[in-house]
Amino acid sequence: MHPPDSTDASQRSAAVDSDAARFRDAARPGRLQGALFQSIGDAGRAELVERRLASAITGGHLRAGERLPSENDLARTFGVAPTTVRESLLALRTQGLVVTRRGRNGGSFVADSADPVAHARTALAATSRLALRDMGAHYAAITAACVRLAARRAVASEVQLIRARLIRLEPTDLAQWRSALDDVQVELVSLSQSARLTREQMRLQAEISPLLRLIDAVEDSRVLERQLLLAVVDAVESGDAQAAVDATERMVDSVIDALIELQISGR
Amino acid sequence: MVTTIDAKAPATAARAAAIVAEYLRGPIEALDETAVLLGEELAASPHIGALSSQRLDTLVEPHALRLLGLTDAHIYGAGFIAAIELLTDERNHLSWWQGEDARKLLLAAQSVNKALIDYSELEWFRVPMETGRGHVAGPYVDYLCSDEYTITVAAPVHIAGRFVGVAGLDLLIDSVERQLLPKLAELGDKVTLVNSVGRVVISTDPRHATGDAVRGGSLADLPRTACEGVALEIIAE
Repeated sequence: MHPPDSTDASQRSAAVDSDAARFRDAARPGRLQGALFQSIGDAGRAELVERRLASAITGGHLRAGERLPSENDLARTFGVAPTTVRESLLALRTQGLVVTRRGRNGGSFVADSADPVAHARTALAATSRLALRDMGAHYAAITAACVRLAARRAVASEVQLIRARLIRLEPTDLAQWRSALDDVQVELVSLSQSARLTREQMRLQAEISPLLRLIDAVEDSRVLERQLLLAVVDAVESGDAQAAVDATERMVDSVIDALIELQISGR
Repeated sequence: MVTTIDAKAPATAARAAAIVAEYLRGPIEALDETAVLLGEELAASPHIGALSSQRLDTLVEPHALRLLGLTDAHIYGAGFIAAIELLTDERNHLSWWQGEDARKLLLAAQSVNKALIDYSELEWFRVPMETGRGHVAGPYVDYLCSDEYTITVAAPVHIAGRFVGVAGLDLLIDSVERQLLPKLAELGDKVTLVNSVGRVVISTDPRHATGDAVRGGSLADLPRTACEGVALEIIAE
């Protein structure tokens, strides 16, 4: 398409090129528009509900034996028809994640055999190192944005409540450890006073937290993670935004490193 | 008497404080009434010794829906949060209805496990529990219920003097801004509403962002005027 470059024509050709580029830019949809019109996939609604519930169970957010809300309540919450919920529950039963009991105290329950740690182990083995690092980058970016704002906006007494909870945590209590740490982390980012950032952080937290249960098995790594989170809390309390960001990045690097080591060792 | 302060400011602050107090009076009174009624109904319930979350929901729902129907201030959510040992079947239970369609709040499975969150340390639960009195908490990011930037009006519920939980209603700051800011703007001067820890709720001065702390800024040393009945204050410039 382009004429071969030659010394006498180069200047004129450059001008034509930039005109052509301008025309192309105007005609081409913007990058964001491209993102807007990406395929939303053809998964049915029942499949979407099924996936949502399955990830809550395999992620340990709904625990073994826990009763699920009624079909009608689930239907209202997800904004789908009750038959759609029934269909997705049927699929979850087939997968062995949910059991249904009849009778007065009946309903759908998370199967006793649903084991988040086993699911996390499978998920970690199936995740590339690239994907783990990228998840860490995303998590660190959002969390850093939150603590930067929190350092500016939080009041010392609010941060002190969070520190007190973090210090009270018993690193020997493995069962409660991860959910308690999640809780503290969410409370800290909510001090940003930003609902959007907090929601985004919680979404990422829910994604990464099941994997982090795997590194919790070693007590030393629980102690280390608390230390790193305490450094973030300290920086937020002293109003030092940059220190809070740095401490957040150190914390996230540390847990992603631990996940990758775990993946390599195959334990 | 310091004469460098604009003489209009104290009068403006008093009028602004009255507007805020008036805006919140309806919801606070309605909630206080609800807390008393809930206590009486719970005390009279034949199931009080072995209360299930389902029975509690049945009892709370009409009260929550009535609060959501209030019109003077836009109420986003309302309900009752049981003290940790009240129910037989669940440790943490939120009897809560919210949104335009007043839907029952369920566990939001896509986020961290809200059932495991210990709310006894959250301001809207802790203060009524500890003081035995009503409280206006926030603004704060309410990641348990509304998922939005929120003020929660909360009142303790007692059965024969025993604390059994907190009745509450949520006002989204988004609605507060839409409803209250035009009234404050009519006063003409720059007016900022702050909470008891000095956080900006809303301001007619666009330079003061909601959520910011006043410490270290131009508002830090200005006098504050209390709004009657709530732990909120007005700073007029």
